[in-house]
This record gives sequence, structure tokens and C-alpha cells, in this order.
Amino acid sequence: MAALDLRKLVRGNLSTITSLVAAVIIIIIFQATNPFFLSPAGRVTLVYAMSYFLIAACGLTMVIVMGSFDFSVVSLLKMAALLCALYMDAVGLWVIPLALLVCGGLGFINGLLFARFKVPSFLATLGMSVVVEGMALYLSRGFLHVIDNPAFRSLSVTFLAGLPSIFYWAMAVWAVCIFIAFCTPFGRRIFAIGGNPVAASLCGIDVVKTRIYVFMMSGLLAGLAGILYMAQFGGGSIEIGADMSVPLFASIVAGGTALSGGWGGPHRTLLGVILITWTQAGMSMLALGHDVQLVVFALIAIGMSVLTTDRGSLKIVK
Amino acid sequence: MNTATPVIELKGITKTFGGVVRALNDVSIAIYPNEVVGVVGENGAGKTTLMKIMAGVFPPDGGEWYYAGQKMSFPKHPREAAQRGVAIVYQEKGVIPALRVYQYLFLGHEDRYAMSLARLKRDEMKTYAERLLREFHIACSVEDFMYNLPPSTQKMVEIARAILSLRLEHGGDDTASVVILDEPTAPLNIEERQELFNYIKKMKATTSFILVSHIMHEVLEFTDRVYVLRDGKLVSHYNLSEEKVTEEDLFKAIVGREFIPETRISETADVNREEVVLVAQNLTRKGSYYDISFELHRGECIGFFGPTGSGKSEIIKSIAGILDFHQGTLFIKGKEASSKEIPHTRLAKGVGYFCGETEKQLFFNWPVRKNISIVNMESILRKRFPIIDFRMEKQMAGKIVQKFKIRTPSIEAECQSLSGGNKQKISVGKWFERNPEILLLEDPTIGIDVGARRDIYEALLEMKERKIAIILVSDDPKEYSMLCDKIIFLKGGRVQKVLSSQEFKEVIAT
Amino acid sequence: MRNASDRSLPKGSIGAKIRKIDPTILMLIVLVIVFSAIFPDRFLTPLNFSSILGQFVTIIVFALGPSMVATIGSMDLSYVGIWMLGGILVWRLIPVVGAPAILVYPLLGLATGFLIGVIQVKVKMPSFILTLSLLVAYSGLTAILSGGYPRIVRGYDFLAARLIPYVPTTLFWSIPLIIVAIFLMKNTKLGAYLYAIGSNEEGARLAGINVEKYKILTFTISGLLTGFGSIVQFKHLGGSVPIALNLNNMTLPLVAIVFGGTLLSGGSGGPDRTVLGTLAFVTLYRGLFITLLPPEILQLVVGLLLVLAIVASSRGLKGVSIT
Repeated sequence: MAALDLRKLVRGNLSTITSLVAAVIIIIIFQATNPFFLSPAGRVTLVYAMSYFLIAACGLTMVIVMGSFDFSVVSLLKMAALLCALYMDAVGLWVIPLALLVCGGLGFINGLLFARFKVPSFLATLGMSVVVEGMALYLSRGFLHVIDNPAFRSLSVTFLAGLPSIFYWAMAVWAVCIFIAFCTPFGRRIFAIGGNPVAASLCGIDVVKTRIYVFMMSGLLAGLAGILYMAQFGGGSIEIGADMSVPLFASIVAGGTALSGGWGGPHRTLLGVILITWTQAGMSMLALGHDVQLVVFALIAIGMSVLTTDRGSLKIVK
Repeated sequence: MNTATPVIELKGITKTFGGVVRALNDVSIAIYPNEVVGVVGENGAGKTTLMKIMAGVFPPDGGEWYYAGQKMSFPKHPREAAQRGVAIVYQEKGVIPALRVYQYLFLGHEDRYAMSLARLKRDEMKTYAERLLREFHIACSVEDFMYNLPPSTQKMVEIARAILSLRLEHGGDDTASVVILDEPTAPLNIEERQELFNYIKKMKATTSFILVSHIMHEVLEFTDRVYVLRDGKLVSHYNLSEEKVTEEDLFKAIVGREFIPETRISETADVNREEVVLVAQNLTRKGSYYDISFELHRGECIGFFGPTGSGKSEIIKSIAGILDFHQGTLFIKGKEASSKEIPHTRLAKGVGYFCGETEKQLFFNWPVRKNISIVNMESILRKRFPIIDFRMEKQMAGKIVQKFKIRTPSIEAECQSLSGGNKQKISVGKWFERNPEILLLEDPTIGIDVGARRDIYEALLEMKERKIAIILVSDDPKEYSMLCDKIIFLKGGRVQKVLSSQEFKEVIAT
Repeated sequence: MRNASDRSLPKGSIGAKIRKIDPTILMLIVLVIVFSAIFPDRFLTPLNFSSILGQFVTIIVFALGPSMVATIGSMDLSYVGIWMLGGILVWRLIPVVGAPAILVYPLLGLATGFLIGVIQVKVKMPSFILTLSLLVAYSGLTAILSGGYPRIVRGYDFLAARLIPYVPTTLFWSIPLIIVAIFLMKNTKLGAYLYAIGSNEEGARLAGINVEKYKILTFTISGLLTGFGSIVQFKHLGGSVPIALNLNNMTLPLVAIVFGGTLLSGGSGGPDRTVLGTLAFVTLYRGLFITLLPPEILQLVVGLLLVLAIVASSRGLKGVSIT
């Protein structure tokens, strides 16, 4: 009887177990090949690598749970970082609400294009990301920017109990997202729309408005991630390419959130983000380049989508 | 006629879906040359499944297939069925809007018109298509896009396509072939229906037809024999040339039960004529219904009665906010409601919409608990801060499960693991708990068994006694006589007559 | 939808005649007139004409295949990946096998397209995420194989040897590709099948079409066209193999497809529309370019155009489920 229950438990949580096992395995591998991996200094590197990533991933998770996709997260993240770098001298810390406002607004436009104008979400956000990249290019004119405002930097790099403050920000955002997803009617509605949009509409859910809110939320969180990222690095060239969207997406499916929508949630994303960013950090420590990492993440993205898609319930996928 | 060899004969067909639902149980039918055979039954009785097996969409689990007296394997593919002389015209989803008429006519049979390099002889295809359109008196050009044609023309082209596929695959002429028409007249107006049946009568000289329909008088008027399916079984067979069959006989065979004695009949409630909750004035949605006016009082139940295509389903969808209307005004509790409102806004004003298709009501991967609470979010929020109180949510779900005797292992079981009747009870249960002021019911007991029906009727009657105003649209006249105080007869989208529940019972009885 | 508006207009009037002209062609004509009027000295030059044709080649060789995929309502973003990885493989193989190494491009395109098709159909993974992931994987592989530097592939100069002044020779190489793509869509049953799948997949299945087979075939053809297109592209751009992913390379063919009026929801358009769309877009782009707008603004404008074009082409998608 107990064995049967165990088997059932394993089958029911296959994706969680896969990710957990994978995370443990990569930690063991990297620790074995590089003893600094889990040293205090190594830990700080790992935390730095995952924190801003987790914040952005939480926003995208909400969108994916709703059955849509937000391609523009990376662009918005860059935009917020750039705004901080450019206008810190002019307006001081007011740049933070400014950047959040801009990103929330762009997220709103994403939502509007998708929900109101019925543009498929990945296309709408792809178009928006080209626009945002253009804006960023125009604003920065390709120069490097450095931030030396200590108050701003302290947002991310204040150490508490051996870990930088950006880690606590990320955990707080993660907790809030879980709370929203599972304890509020809003969260319930997101899952409803992802699971069955027709039934959601007939159950009296305002599908259009909810979709717009979720895209705004995704934009805001991308903005927050960008601000904290800038505070963490203190400027320099922003080394995030459009290809970051693949690791970002990989971390969400690796956590076990299905692309088909209505299933998974932000609580799973932490595991996926650890899996992806620690692999990234571990590979960097082993001097394996960005290129190798990209290949690995793309394969993880495809492989995990294969595992998490519930093909029985899907009829037509374009 | 029965002395001849049947063109197609199916024996002992059995089909189960997902290992649980038995869609067809030992059904045998035979189609003889030169006849029109009706197949009738309720929704979910297995008609469409049987037709799809005949047309090669999927094979059955068991049974035998005979063609001209010879036993053959089941067709595995629609084209294989066409080669054996069976083609089907689907009720919906058959039309492909993006194609031109000639492309659609030849869809799936292009190989016969291929030259070297797979190039198609387009001119030849077009000439043949033009000839076919003339033969069928279809007024459109072969170059027209399907989406530009009116629905009736689309249907005619679809039928032409079925016959064309038989001519191409089965042989040059139409002899010894069967065309299945699944609810063909739904999108057609009266003249077009007449035209269609005239054409079928002419074609009968060479081809046999199967007519699947809900519209009894059409079946009685235009078919030679009728098969009646109920719950996946063949229950009756009438030879219309030998016996006199009335619409009522047919109806009784379809529904298969006299009135369920345990169920109470709603007493014509002492409706408070002062309290009007919903007023419709000259509502018009072009192409669906025209000039619909009525007043709904608190605690009253109005039914819209008419055949499929009479506009009843569009009226209730317009009131629910799923469809818009073009003219007229709608007042909900004294305030005018715009035609652009969505179900969300209408629900906030007190209008709930319940339909019997569970896939439009339930989230199958959710537990019972969440499915019940989704329309009742406001009542399970904590007082101080608007977050979900899980204890209250469980209590609510437990209450509904108990009240409706929903057979589920627990309130945490996923909905998709439950039977159809239990699913239906969950979706009725959530609206029961919500207790809206106006409840719109569309086919509330579609495709479920008698026992579950009785429980759902009980709940609906109880809701009526709680002074909920109800609008009913259904295919089952018994439901009208049980629930409604007033029945509005519709025909072709217009009000024909308005009957009280007493008058309605007399009409149904005769 | 075009036809419907035609009928309501009185025949013979000038308005009706203008409306009868395809909107993309109309846009093309208007653009040419406007830019010629404003910048006669800069727009109406052989050099500008040459640039327009050059950029036309750059975009069309990547837009042909994906525009066929768009007719079934799916997306294929893998083109830049096939071009990059193929290039680096050619560079690696030339010392080993010599000139036939160029065949790596079409072979890689074929294999990639087939792989995408099989995964998309069997796994039911949304095609744009699948192809995007593959694109990123390919660009990573390219960077690994290149050793970290952009590489120049020498040889094959006849592909780009100038024959006619101001007309890029690569244009002639792209023409057979265009003809094959249009032939497949217009003159074989494939066109009708792809429209049928894109507009009503369930209906196509009921009509007896093997939907899965044709979906895989579409992705495969798209990959193959991109593979041949990459041969043209690599010589067109002087034989260099890039190793970094550029968002613009990925976006411009998409813009061209949408400009041509192909609905990305499927069921309409195709390579013939994409040729027109590419011409219109390139004319517009060059027109903006000669206004001497700063490149940052130009990119912004391209992005806005993409958004507007997508919004415009998504109109009238009633009842289509969106994700």
C-alpha cells in the first residue's frame, strides 16, 4: 500500500522531482569539479546570478500560467537598467519609480495589444521588444554608463547574514507572487484563464482586464529586476542579449510550469531558476563560455517543454 | 425495398471513448439503394459517433461492415470510405473559410488532377466545379472565397463536395453510394431547406441519403425509414411507408421516458407582477432573431421554445452577454444594459448563465472545490483583507457535494475523473451557491442520465422557489412544462405565440 | 475580405479602381511617389535602386520559407540559426571536402526543418518557442565552432560576380527560390492544404488530409528554402559568418511577411504576398534611411511599423483562439 502511494506520488510530481534531482546533480558535479562552488564567495556568486533572474522569471511565470507568452521581459529589464544609469544623475533616486512606471506602462501596452486588439501575445510582445530595443539604443547612443550613487547601489549589495540584499528582494518578490497566485481571487482567475478561457469568461471573469493586469505585472517585475540588476553591477555595458529570453523561459519550464497554461505556478519557478542560473554560474566558473551555456539552455527549454506538456488535453497547437 | 441487398450495412457496432464512456452499444443499421434514412436521437445519443464510424473518421471497437452484401474491414480514412461510396457532410467545422470554392470542392482529391511536378490542372478543375455548381443551382463563382458566401450557400457547396468526392473516388456515377447529412438544415432558411430537400428527392434516383436531424417534421416528411438512437443503443425503427408515425411517437421514442413521477412540477408561482427584473424591448440580432420583447418578473420562469435555428439559443446568449444585439433595448433591474457588455458585467448585474456543455463551465484539471468556488469568490473572502479563506471554500464545496450527492472521492478530486452527470451537478451546484437574481439556462441536462437529471431538476425547482427569475432554452419540452410559467414559441427568429404553462401542456399532449 | 469590399463599390468609378489594386502594391506605389517627390536627388539614384534590390535579397531569402509556415498559423524563427550554423560548418568543412561543402546549407536547413516539424507535431510545443530555442542553440553552437571570431568563407565568388551594373547578382540566385516557393503554393495541392490547415485544422482533418504529415512537410520545405537562401545570403553579405545573434536579422523577415498581408493566424498569404511585402518594406526602409534619420530612430520606427502591421493584420480574427 505504502509502495503504491509512493509510486503515485512520484508520478504526480514527476516534473518537480526531475528538477530537484537535476538541481542536486548539478550542485554535486560543480562542487566536485570546482571546490569553490559552494564556498562563501561561491555562494555569493550563485545568489547574485539567480536573484534578478528570479524576479523577472516570476513575472513571466504568471503570463505563462495564463496561457500566454511575454517575449519583452528581457527588453524591459534592459530598459529599466538603462533608465537608472542615464537619469540617476539628473533625478537621483526618483529614477526608480520612473523606471517602474515606464516598464509598467510598456507592460500595459503589451496587455492592451494582446487582450484588446487580439494580437497573439508572443507577436505583440516581440514587436514591443523591438520597439523597446530601439528606444534603448536611441537613449543610450551606445555609450557605457556607470552608476556610483552609493544609496542606489546599497539596494542590492548590502550584506545581511552573509548574503546580499538583492537575494532578500528576490525572495520577497517570489513570496508575494506565490501569495497572489494561490491566495487571492486574482490569482485564481489567472489560472482559470490559462486552463479554459471560454469557461473563465462564462464564469463572469473579466478576461480582458485580467490579461492586461498580468502583462502589467510582468512588465513591472521585469523593471524591478532591471533596477536591482543595475544596482548590483553598478553600470557598465549591459551584457544581456535577446538570447537571455531562452534561459529565462527554460527556467520556468524546468520548474514544471506547462506552456499550455493553467498549470504550475511561481512556487515552481524558484527550482527552475536555481537549476538554470547555477548551471550558468557553474559553467562560468569552469570557464565554459556563454555559447556553450546557450546551447545547454536551449536544449533544457525544449526537453522540459516536452516533459511538462499535457498532450492528451491539447488538440491544436500552432 | 427491403428485399434488395443493402448498399451499406453495419452490424453490432460498439464504441467506447477513453475506456469509460460507452458511446455506442451493439448498433446495427442498413441503408438500401434509393432511399433517405433518418437517424434521430438526443444530443449525446451516439448519432454523430455512428456517422463518423461510417465515414471512416475513426474505427469502432467492435462490429462488422458490409458493402453490397460483402463483408469488408472498416474504412480507416475518409477517402477510403469515399471509395466505398460513403461521404459525409458535417454539422459544423466542415467548411474551410480560407479556400476558394473550387479548391474546397476538390480538397483531398487533387491527385486526380496532377500533372508532372505535381502541378494541378486548375482550368480543368474549375470547369468541372462550374458544371457541378450549375447542376446544384448554387449561385456563386468557383473563384469566390468560402468565407464570402452566405451560410446557406456554404452548406450547399459542402453537400456538392461530398457528392463530388463520391464521383471521383467511387466511380463516375452516383449509384450504390450513401451521403450522410448531419443536421444539414441548421443554417438554412425555409426556402433553401425546401430547395435542398427537392434536390435530395431528385438525387434519390441514384444515391441514398442518411439525414441526421433534430427537426421532426423534416424527418417525417422527407425520409423513408427512421432509426432512433438513445444512450448509444438502437431503440426503435420505423418504416414510414408502412406505418403512420406522428411527431409525438418519434419524440417519445427519442426521450424514452414518460414523465419522471418523482419530480415535482413547479406550481405556477404567485409571481409578483410589480417586481420586473428584466425587460427586453424589440431586441433584434440580424440573422438570428427579430423584435423580441418580454418582461421577466422576480420568481418567474420564461421558456423560449422552437426548433434548432429558431433563434432561441442566440437570444439567451445575447442576454448573457456572449453575443451582442443590433437593435432594441435591454433593461436589467430597471437599468439599461448596453449590447457590448461581457458576461462579467452581466454577472455583476445579477445575470448568471448556465449551459449544459460542461467544457464551457468547468476547469477539468481543477479539483471540485475550486470549480465550485470560482463563481463564488466574493463569499469566501476574508472580512478584513480580500484573500481566499480556504476553510470557508472547503465548507462551501462540501455543502454542495453533499446537497447534490456528487459522487467524488473528495472535494480535492480533479473534475475530469468524474462522470458526466457528476460534472453537470458541479456546474449546477456552483450557480446554486451563487444564487444570482436571474439565471439563464441553456440545455441544462444535455447528455446526462436520468438519475442525475432528476437531481438537477430538483435543484432548479428549488432555485425557482427561492425567487430566482429563470429563462430556459432547451430541446426537451418536458423541461418547459416542468419549470416555465410562460412559454414563448419562436419560428424563424420571430415570436409566433405566447402560451401559459397550462396551454403549453395541452399543446404538447395533443 | 478584399473581395467583399470590392463588391459594395460602384463599378467603373476611380475610387473602385484604386481600391481594386492590392493594398500592398498601392502602398508600394505611394511610397515610391512620395519619396521620389521629397528626395528626388537621393531616392531616384541608381545607387539607391541598387541598395533597395540588395536589401530585398537579404530579407526575401529568409522570409520565403517562414511565410509558408505562416499560412498554417505557425511560426518559424530558425532562419538566422540555419544561416549562422551552416556558415560555420561550411568554413570548417571547406579544408576537408572542398567546394561541395556549400551543400551543408541546404542539408542543415532540411534536417532542421524536419526536426522542428516532428517535434512540433508530436510534442505539441508552440512553434515559435521551439524555433526560438533552436535558433539560440544554433547561435551558441556557431560561436563554439567558430572559436570566438567572425569567419570569412572564401571562394564561390561566381555567386556574387557582378553581371549587370547596379543589380546584385545574388538577386538572380534568389529568383529560382521565389519561383519554387510560389509554384508550390499556387500550382500544387500544397497551397490549398496549407490554407485549409491554417484556417480550420479540424475541418482539414475531417476532409481526410493528413494534417501532421503536411505540417512536418511545411516546416521541412521552409528549412530547405532557408538553407538554399543562406547560400545566397552568405555570398550576398561578402562571405562573412556572424557569430552573434542580431535581433534585427530575425525581425526584418517577419516584418516583410506581415507587410505582405499574410495573417500570422494562418489561412492566407504566402510567398507571393511576401515578395510584395518585402519590396514595400525595403522601399519604405530605404526611404527612411535616405532621410538621414539616426540609426537608433530607424530601429525604433521599424519596431513601431512591426507592431502596427501586426495589429492591422490581426484585425478581423474573430473567434480565433489566441495564446
